[in-house]
Amino acid sequence: MSDAISTDPTREPQAFFGAERAQITEEIAPEVWTEIDDYLARTPGAHERLIPLLHRVQESLGHIPFAVQEYVADKLGLSPIQVYGVVSFYHFFTTTPRGENELKVCMGTACFLRHAQRLVETLEQTLGVALGQVTDDRLFSLEQVRCIGACGLAPAMIVNDETLGNLSPKDVRKRVLRLKAKTLRERERESPSETRSD
Amino acid sequence: MTSRTQDRVAESRTVTRSDLAAIRERLRPRLEARGRAERESEPTQRDVLACAGGGCVSSRSLAVAETLEQEISAANLDERARVVRVGCMGLCDAAPLVLVSPDGVYYRNVDEEGARRIVAEHLASNRPVADLELTWQDGEGKVLRGSEIPFFTRQVKIALRNCGVIDPLEIDEYIAADGYLALERALFELSPEDVLGMIHRSGLRGRGGAGFPVGLKWQFVREAEGDEKFVVCNADEGDPGAFMDRGILEGDPHSVIEGMIIAGHVIGSRQGYVYVRAEYPLAIARLGSALQQARSYGLLGDKIVGSGHSFDLEIRIGAGAFVCGEETALMYSIEGKRGMPRPRPPFPAQKGLWGKPTLLNNVETWANVPVILCRGAEWYSSVGTKGSKGTKVFALAGGVRNTGLVEVPMGITLREVVDEIGGGMRSGVPFKAVQSGGPSGGCLPATSADVPIDYESLQELGAMMGSGGLITMDEGTCMVALARFFLEFLVDESCGKCPPCRIGVRVLLNILDRITKGEGRIEDLDVLESLGDHIRRTSLCGLGQTAPNAVLSTVRHFRQEYEAHVCEHRCPAAQCRALLTYVISSELCNGCAQCADVCPSAAISGRREHAHHVDQSLCVHCGACLTVCPTDGIQAT
Repeated sequence: MSDAISTDPTREPQAFFGAERAQITEEIAPEVWTEIDDYLARTPGAHERLIPLLHRVQESLGHIPFAVQEYVADKLGLSPIQVYGVVSFYHFFTTTPRGENELKVCMGTACFLRHAQRLVETLEQTLGVALGQVTDDRLFSLEQVRCIGACGLAPAMIVNDETLGNLSPKDVRKRVLRLKAKTLRERERESPSETRSD
Repeated sequence: MTSRTQDRVAESRTVTRSDLAAIRERLRPRLEARGRAERESEPTQRDVLACAGGGCVSSRSLAVAETLEQEISAANLDERARVVRVGCMGLCDAAPLVLVSPDGVYYRNVDEEGARRIVAEHLASNRPVADLELTWQDGEGKVLRGSEIPFFTRQVKIALRNCGVIDPLEIDEYIAADGYLALERALFELSPEDVLGMIHRSGLRGRGGAGFPVGLKWQFVREAEGDEKFVVCNADEGDPGAFMDRGILEGDPHSVIEGMIIAGHVIGSRQGYVYVRAEYPLAIARLGSALQQARSYGLLGDKIVGSGHSFDLEIRIGAGAFVCGEETALMYSIEGKRGMPRPRPPFPAQKGLWGKPTLLNNVETWANVPVILCRGAEWYSSVGTKGSKGTKVFALAGGVRNTGLVEVPMGITLREVVDEIGGGMRSGVPFKAVQSGGPSGGCLPATSADVPIDYESLQELGAMMGSGGLITMDEGTCMVALARFFLEFLVDESCGKCPPCRIGVRVLLNILDRITKGEGRIEDLDVLESLGDHIRRTSLCGLGQTAPNAVLSTVRHFRQEYEAHVCEHRCPAAQCRALLTYVISSELCNGCAQCADVCPSAAISGRREHAHHVDQSLCVHCGACLTVCPTDGIQAT
């Protein structure tokens, strides 16, 4: 942690994230850097461009790697810790990769009253993960969200980009198992050898 | 301004006042027909309005709209019928909704097959599809149809005037509904002082929760010294159970834009921001397209409609932080920082975005502004009560029969909203409580059902107007568990800057946690009240100051439920799992043994394919069996 609060201006920015940073070595596609540069060329500005920029990265990568945070910080004239402060403050941003399918169970008041908790429990049992985690096979990530405004359809959840309403635990179990089979079939089609060797 | 925007402006035309008048002339008859209910006539032209509000889209209304269009073409009815995708019609329970006008026939829960029947029977042969029609039985057994239903007749629509009526993606339809007429008046016929005076006299108060007089706020920013000023729309509708602002942005984005341009003119600002939460992608898309159209018409940008006023708007998307609904936090977020509130004063009117004077109102407030200028302050203030003028939009949800978006005059009673507009509770029993104002609000007991709803009376009852979420509950909801739900939310969302909120709310949650597990002590109730009061008085921002409301109002109005948990270890609503007894019904049990598999304490036994039973001495009351039983054969009491 002492690394993170160092104020030595001569330090390499990479060193800011210390141990946590070192554990994650991830290849970043070159398109990501281009996308950031393009956005900043189109919409110049400093600090105020940070959140829109992070939204773009999150959208294309599904998460915001530390290397990207450092790059963005450099481009906007901020310190990496300022960027990380924003990333960690907002629920929408995450530094860990998401699953191929994103499941978000609405935990708004109306959904709570209509037992959304039971949907979460069913999903946890079906997938074998806790809320906020990603399955080992990276097929699913399970999250809760605060009110998606579909209160008339409570309990509701978002599967990838589709909003589903009036769900029962049985519905979600069936849907998720079907989605799992479908995703596995797609994986098989894309890289048959890889799946077989598993 | 981005280069893309500049291209658009270059290729677009700037409308003049006579262009706007011509659009109104041309489209007005078509719009007026949508408000009619002429069942018996056989019109030569029909508009088929398909609800494309968020709730209906989730129920596949876009596929229904597409089927309608295809079938209309296939039946050669293109000349006589047109599908219009409109914003939220309000009755989410009947989603997807379709309205055939000018007949005034509403269809509920329409699927693709229903769409085919509507075209074949109603549009082609003038025979409304009776079994799909939206009907309502009144108290005397009389069957009401379409616009006669109390859900529609009891509402007064001002902020939602165009929602469910016009196509939000067509600026011409908004213009035809007297859109941008208020802007014309403000730019060419009235002085900024006149406009300010009208807002003052209308008595409009902020619809975001606190209810600050809007005219006064505008005046403060107008009088503030500054070379640059900003106009901001708060569309960070974070209260769980609230979707009023989403409804307006999705169904009538131009009304918000128009309100903001007018304010820009009055206070002397050239730039505005709309801060929308990221959870509302459809609202963001519709607002974005509305901004584009307004720019291409010259209603945004330099020298609006040939006047001297220049103004432009940018969308800023939130990133999932409830506290950003607080005005100072919201402004930090626009600046790209962590959304942490700061003490006021200085108020945003003096030091707001980037330290400049900033005018901040919420979506519903902005949507009211054009109407006040069009119809007059006196007309507006004739609606509502002495201290609360106009209407309020509520998102009605929970156990009520007609869930959805409703707009009612201030001063209406809870009973009217829940029993008449909402159609009473689904369970058939009277409602037990209504939660208003989200996590910052409180619970109102059924005994206050006849109190008129306005800012002051709700405050006296320990609740607040809030942004407008109304969650109805019956005996099946445990008030302690509900308070705990809100506290859990707030602990999660507290920004952590001030200790009363960061630590105090956590302590409240810990106490409620104990109570719902049957480990509460009677002195806990006093601690909840005194600590809640401390948090309310000492927190930095609105989030913390209102955080204890859920606990305080439930302890005040539903003390007996807390006492049942604490003294009798009993949850009257049978919701707190740790306090329930689990019994397997021998009739419903199919012997699948799934419950026995998940039971952590091996309390469930039985032979496969034979009824199982629970050994109460071993049961740890976790409720795991309840979630896996495929036959709903486990009773928890």
